[in-house]
Amino acid sequence: MLKAASSLGVIFFPAFDWAISPTHPEREERLLYTQDQFREEGLFDIEGISEHRPLYASDLDIMRAHFCFPSVSAICTESHRISAGGAIQAARLVFEQETRRAFALVRPPGHHAMKVVHGNRGFCNINIEAVMVEWIREHYGRKRIAIVDTDCHHGDGTQDVYWHDPDVLFISLHQDGRTLYPGSGFPYENGGPRALGKTVNIPLPPRTSDEGYLYAIEEVVLPILADFNPDLIINSAGQDNHYTDPITNMQFSAQGYARLNELLKPDIAVLEGGYSIKGALPYVNLGICLAMAGCDYSGIREPDYNPAALRESPDLMDTIRQTCAYVLDSYHHPPMGDFEKQGEYFIRERKIYYDTEGILENQREELKDCESCRGVRLIKSSSSHLSTCLGVELPIDCCPACEQEGYTAFTRAKKNYVVAQLLDQKNKRFQYLSE
Amino acid sequence: MRIGIDVGGTQTDGVLINGDQLLAAAKTPTNHDNLLESISQVLHTILAGQDPRRVRTLNLSTTLTTNAIVTGKTEPVGMLVVGGPGISAEYYRIGDHYHQIYGSLDHLGTETSALNEDDLDEAISSCLDQGVKCFAAACKFSPRNPDYENHIREKLGNQADFVTLGHAISGQLNFGRRIHTAYYNSAVWRIFQRFAGALTTSLKGFSLEDVEINILKADGGTMPLVRALETPVQSIFSGPAASVMGILATTPVNEDVLMLDIGGTTTDIALFAGGTPLLEREGISIEERPTLVRAIHVESIGIGGDSLIHSDNGEVAVGPQRLGPCMAAGGDRPTIMDAFNVLGLAAFGATDRSQTGMTTMSNVLSCSTEQLAETVISTAVETLATAIEQLIFKVNSKPVYTIHEILTSREIKPTRLIVIGGPAAVFQAPLAERLGLEVTVPSLHGVVNAIGAALTRTTSHLSLTANTARRKLSVPMLGIFQSVPRGFSLDEAVAEARKLLVGDLAASGIRINDQEVQITQADSFNMVDGGYTSGKNIRVVAQVRPAVVTHLADAPATLLQVC
Repeated sequence: MLKAASSLGVIFFPAFDWAISPTHPEREERLLYTQDQFREEGLFDIEGISEHRPLYASDLDIMRAHFCFPSVSAICTESHRISAGGAIQAARLVFEQETRRAFALVRPPGHHAMKVVHGNRGFCNINIEAVMVEWIREHYGRKRIAIVDTDCHHGDGTQDVYWHDPDVLFISLHQDGRTLYPGSGFPYENGGPRALGKTVNIPLPPRTSDEGYLYAIEEVVLPILADFNPDLIINSAGQDNHYTDPITNMQFSAQGYARLNELLKPDIAVLEGGYSIKGALPYVNLGICLAMAGCDYSGIREPDYNPAALRESPDLMDTIRQTCAYVLDSYHHPPMGDFEKQGEYFIRERKIYYDTEGILENQREELKDCESCRGVRLIKSSSSHLSTCLGVELPIDCCPACEQEGYTAFTRAKKNYVVAQLLDQKNKRFQYLSE
Repeated sequence: MRIGIDVGGTQTDGVLINGDQLLAAAKTPTNHDNLLESISQVLHTILAGQDPRRVRTLNLSTTLTTNAIVTGKTEPVGMLVVGGPGISAEYYRIGDHYHQIYGSLDHLGTETSALNEDDLDEAISSCLDQGVKCFAAACKFSPRNPDYENHIREKLGNQADFVTLGHAISGQLNFGRRIHTAYYNSAVWRIFQRFAGALTTSLKGFSLEDVEINILKADGGTMPLVRALETPVQSIFSGPAASVMGILATTPVNEDVLMLDIGGTTTDIALFAGGTPLLEREGISIEERPTLVRAIHVESIGIGGDSLIHSDNGEVAVGPQRLGPCMAAGGDRPTIMDAFNVLGLAAFGATDRSQTGMTTMSNVLSCSTEQLAETVISTAVETLATAIEQLIFKVNSKPVYTIHEILTSREIKPTRLIVIGGPAAVFQAPLAERLGLEVTVPSLHGVVNAIGAALTRTTSHLSLTANTARRKLSVPMLGIFQSVPRGFSLDEAVAEARKLLVGDLAASGIRINDQEVQITQADSFNMVDGGYTSGKNIRVVAQVRPAVVTHLADAPATLLQVC
């Protein structure tokens, strides 16, 4: 009988009663065949691999990670709370040392949800990794955390949540943004002024297969991780880079994905996208589980797997090598972005489109250029559906001056904003301005 | 009238019951070389002065198959396995004639590489050359498509005395368990076959030739003898199940209740949710190999009346070893029972011997004899309580797959503890105090297993899947693989599952009504291909759960005859 070399807790939550719409890729059927494969392969009969049910993310759990406008309950359904709760359960298993590693195989996904949330973007409402990371820091103290996002789409939500946070290293490997939603994730996107280099983007050309992915992992991701030396590694394990995925153009395989996890050795993996529900997910998920548990995964193979036909052309590999060399260099010598400044504040003004719900958000971010701390952050956000709201964030190392400035802005918000939310990481106060 | 017989490891018990009245009870030591002799003895005793023609049903729980496996008296099995990609079938290697045949199916039952006939021919002739007569075939994803397994049986033809097909054993997905279950089924087939033949003959001698014979299963229910001949593996580990059903028959239970069966070496813990015994999630393990044999979940803890007291670096520890009986019963070293004796909580056997043994030990540990005895009992009770709490936690945190279940699932919270077994009475007070539960010790005349056997009803289950895009419906255990119309609905699938389960039991002479069928899963998934709905993927699981036909009225303990 098989035995896990390192114990693995799997939070398998297929949400068999939830869909965005009956024929949407994010529907009840999505993890049905993965469950069939797990059951038939007897995954949970392997000594050291256990199955767990998700926890439930409370308003507070979500308010540690997000500004939800107009309210948490307007953004989150039960499904999102349970999906985030699945990620929290994964973290709990690992930090309580019940299992060495954990895989939250949950839906709906979350990596397109940004710091400010007005609705569903790219099938995501709340960022389940971010909710988990904030839950970890709340319960186990300040940690250095690396998130490696291997979903085919750029993890623009997670990038946005941790754009200014030097404690969180965010690395995304994805199909080149010029060819795929959300159209971002270029190497020059490398973090805010206080966290320069802590965002790393590795765009890969369409048709990248196992060799290209594993090259990027071995030549860029692993050296950067060794340098950053995190307390915890999280893999945002989207599986839409598979060669059978209907909405992307990559050529990754189950074998490749298993090897990726064997190399990356994430403490926690969280499912993101992946919509080839019959041809990819049953095999990729099995591969990830076996690799994370340190079991033999060599027998896993999709029925139509033909590595020779999937292999990158020499030109394509050249492109990948060039990108990788550039990205690695930029991590060590991050070029200063042209941050706009007005007085003492770094300013970002953006329009963000929520494709699933057709919402257009207008956002102005003001980050104090403070010498004593990371700086108080004010986010003024309105949308096509909602007047201007205010988000006030005080960083964990917030200085007294920034703290006072933040609280002043928050308490006076009633005059100019329909909703105001406080996210005070220093004093752990997370609240909306009461009526 | 009903007869219940439990052939246990040491004792064979028998009861005769009319309606809710216990008419006779008997007990005799089990003769392992001749189980029929033990059965005949109790039959003879309980039928004395009764008209055997009034007996309608005889339910039998026997260690026959369990014992054959434990003592290695099983038959060699030609195990023919079709695995394919994924976790290698090599990990499930079992027995001396394990053969892998190349070929594969995917999770939809579609063939992804053809069965290699040369592999198969070679495997079969290798087995036949070595005199193997019983075979088992198991293929990955065979419940989705049984073609390979059926083909293997055809190929074996009359060269095999018996063939177990994996998909016929269970519709549940789990390749490794399917291999193990099919293997053991074939391994005990002949021994069960012979026993059944001899049993039928000997029942004629008691004028019982027309009774309906049922065999107890590990899930607490029975199966008709004709079914048992096909799936003898289902008869393993029926002893603990019989005892659980015996409790249900004598002590009405409708709420969440715990049951403890405290023996000499171990304590068995079972949990009833709303009066129904909790089953293993997938199936019980045989020789540490997981199978698909449905079973009541019984957790065994190494604490019993004869658990040895020892010191672990100065810390007093109890169990899990048992070196012999307690000193009060002539043993050499003090056990839990001796501790109870010392504190005057029990007066079992030679209490002075308990006193002597415990005092000698307390001197070594430099504490008073009473202190030692108190520590022993609190340690033992703590071990049991922890195991109970862990079991309840595990049950309440079992995985669920829908938002509805997460939000609405009822927490199981036992309010009562039923304790049986030799040392039950002495454990009553300390357990009640530690767990804060009402603890009851029913009087059971020492034949609880036979009562359970007599009064339990037939259980059965089936899984039905339908894929309306492919217009297919399958119920693997019944060998049903047929077509359905495109518009086939979940409601129709549920109705079909009920009908099939009732019909299947009727075919072997068991009549139940529709309402006794419980639907434990009924899901319908919209299947989408290329952006359009292509059909529905329907999953239904139906079962007749373990229950007793009646509750026994109180009976005088003087009924029991030892023969």
